[in-house]
Amino acid sequence: MWLSSVFLKTLRDYRIPIFGWGIGMGLVVVSPMASVAALVTTPQARAQLASLAATFAWNADVVAVDTIGGYATFKIGIFIFLIAVWPLLAASRMLRGEEETSTLDVLLSVPRPRLRVALEKVAAMWTALLAMGLLIGLIVFAGGQKFGADFGLGNGLLFGLNLALICAVIGGLALLISQFTQERGTAAGWTAGLLLIFVVLDMVHRVVANSEWISRLSPIYYYNQTKALVPGYGVNVGAMLLLLALTLILSGAALWLFVRRDVGGTVSVPRWLRLPEQAASQALPVRDLSLRSVYARGIGMIAMPTLWWTLGIAGFAGWMVFAVQQMASRLSSLLASSPAAMNLIKNIGGGSASFEAGFLSAIFVLLPLLLMAFAVTQVNGWTADEQDGRLELVLAAPQRRLGVLLARFAALASSTVFIGVVTLLAAAGAAIITGVRVDSGNLAAATLGIIPLGLLVAAVGYLAAGWLRTAADTGLLSFLLLIWFFISFIGPELQLPDATLRLSPFYYYGSPLLHGLAFTSVVGLVAVAAVALGLGALRFVRKDIGV
Amino acid sequence: MAAMIDVEALTKSYGSKRGITDVSFQVEEGDVFGFLGPNGAGKTTTIRLLMALLHPDAGSARIAGLDCWKQSVDIKRLTGYMPGEPALDPNLTGGQILEYFAHLRGGVDQAYLKQLIQRFELDTSRKFRQYSTGNKRKVVLIQAFMHRPRLLILDEPTNGLDPLNQQEFDRMVLEGRNEGRTFLLSSHVLSEVEKTCSTVGIIREGRLVRTGDVAEVKAIKRYEITITFASAVPTESFKSLEGVIDVETLPHGHGVHLTMQGPADAVVKAAAHYPVVSLTSYEPSLEDIFLRYYEGDGPRATDKDNVA
Repeated sequence: MWLSSVFLKTLRDYRIPIFGWGIGMGLVVVSPMASVAALVTTPQARAQLASLAATFAWNADVVAVDTIGGYATFKIGIFIFLIAVWPLLAASRMLRGEEETSTLDVLLSVPRPRLRVALEKVAAMWTALLAMGLLIGLIVFAGGQKFGADFGLGNGLLFGLNLALICAVIGGLALLISQFTQERGTAAGWTAGLLLIFVVLDMVHRVVANSEWISRLSPIYYYNQTKALVPGYGVNVGAMLLLLALTLILSGAALWLFVRRDVGGTVSVPRWLRLPEQAASQALPVRDLSLRSVYARGIGMIAMPTLWWTLGIAGFAGWMVFAVQQMASRLSSLLASSPAAMNLIKNIGGGSASFEAGFLSAIFVLLPLLLMAFAVTQVNGWTADEQDGRLELVLAAPQRRLGVLLARFAALASSTVFIGVVTLLAAAGAAIITGVRVDSGNLAAATLGIIPLGLLVAAVGYLAAGWLRTAADTGLLSFLLLIWFFISFIGPELQLPDATLRLSPFYYYGSPLLHGLAFTSVVGLVAVAAVALGLGALRFVRKDIGV
Repeated sequence: MAAMIDVEALTKSYGSKRGITDVSFQVEEGDVFGFLGPNGAGKTTTIRLLMALLHPDAGSARIAGLDCWKQSVDIKRLTGYMPGEPALDPNLTGGQILEYFAHLRGGVDQAYLKQLIQRFELDTSRKFRQYSTGNKRKVVLIQAFMHRPRLLILDEPTNGLDPLNQQEFDRMVLEGRNEGRTFLLSSHVLSEVEKTCSTVGIIREGRLVRTGDVAEVKAIKRYEITITFASAVPTESFKSLEGVIDVETLPHGHGVHLTMQGPADAVVKAAAHYPVVSLTSYEPSLEDIFLRYYEGDGPRATDKDNVA
């Protein structure tokens, strides 16, 4: 039955993501509920929580955060980036990925209109998103019931539907972009970049006064207009309909272009936009330095992603340093009326540390997470090279396997160091310009200290690549990242034992902007990374390639 | 003199899936060895074991006296390799790919490399992903030849090449053979093996069922003779002759169609007793040998019968 139509076959392909992503994301939403249930036991605690949440207003709207539904909605604010990853990847792969592997050629050779084939695929993705939304809604409802939330099943389902709608918009965007790119990876990259911009645009109105018009340019803004889990806030039908309309427009435009272009080609752009055609040549690029060794080639391969990730990570750090004073002035009155929150900030800041430093420290914990995510994407490149057979000819050249692996790892390590250094320069430059008081040594520790964590993820990924294929390796690393993040940032609220907290590498990063980096922690992280890389190398030099 | 390739009882399995079992053969230096077999027979597995991309479960493989696994880097210095399904960085141009592999090999004669590019009329400015299948194979073929290796291991090298480029490839193999280079060519295009190879190995279901030089392999196969006579002849008299497997009388009764194995001397002498109008012998081709070993009633892999 599942192979009787393109729609069902595509839906069948999505069955694992439907359950995996649906249940996983449902748990992501539910986990803050557990912590807030324990936190908001007294009116004073509620006030403290509300005040504290206000300091993180850049992340999400602070609405009824002293309720279980409100706190969960607030807490997952920036995680929309994580939730949108699946539709982004699935939609960029849906047509372009199948064109890359030529499977679409075969599919389109059956007597069925091209539009129908594409429409069935798109419908399958929408169905999958609705199924995920349903699962998330049910899990959120169940979680809410367990922790005594005051929202019902309908609220949970509307929450899931709103998530499905924003995911469908991002998927539609990826599908549209993939009509203009030769490769699915390029489409996914551009969409991820736009998603990041949308997230930042949505943040703007929460940080800068009178800037709501900027945020309205982002679909995330309309997603945030509905807070189905917040009592009394409810659903913004207009915003949801707008997301639905955006989905239909983006997907419709993608399908309209798809049926009019060559399969395997891209949408024709006007002549004046095209790059000049290169004349046929038999010349050789003898001076190209990026072709001199496996390491140089590794740098060449990673250069463009490094550039974009550097812009993102260093830009984020610099922007946060710029914005911290403005946030401080906005929050000063709020904090003045909440001595408990002020004390809490001071405690985080080590007693005498400034508010800016304390706040920045809390924000800077995202830097290692971002660098680790970068490492995950680059490990994905390494495993894909082996899986797709691109290592075969390199290993057929007189190069030692160990040398090839270490050269590629060294290229990745160089990139992580580059990102760390540029982040330091961006943050230091922003601090000098704005006059924010931050200890320069600690700033260096906070920015350069992310490097060992990036290396750790890369090394673990290289180790796992000895046994796992690309999707499994990337999945494992993403899962580890998620688990580590929750151990470190939700774990304390759940009062997890210290031994559990120590399992997360974020524990060893600590709060370097305030307290510097513990030398033993850095050495420990580097040592674990070295062991993982060593074991990975040992496996790689013995394993069958491409099996 | 030691063999250039010496494979002894080589065995490789992929978990429960069959790879190759107990494969043994030798290729002398300067020889052009054709490695024949249908899809999934074990040709690529054998080749990837030689290139140390796979680790053998049992047995040994040596190239120029060096162990293929333990001394793989030394072996790769003297070997040119072309995989069956070439995969390279899709964003590099053909020229960049060739330069990159030239550097990985410690540098090559740029004049010779340009000569190869010209021979195959390759446009080096296009990205690998923009190449047609044939042009992709040209890039990989050139990188296999560009450092003038002593040994070339080529997995289905002409697959996807147009006839003109196939001819160019044949010429390069012949030139290489004249220069003393050794080739191991896997193929299921038997005519190309017949044209270029001096020895042949046939692999089936992971086992090598026959090795020998092309002429010897031809000699052991069946062939057919059709004789037309001026008048009707007693065709039954041909049945008992040496070398005759089967006799079929032609429709008008004035001739016979004989399936043969071995010498035709007795048949020719018997036919001479009658007025012969025409005698046609169908030359055996490797297609026939190939079919015989892979058809359902052909000899099983255990009927290994080396003629070399």
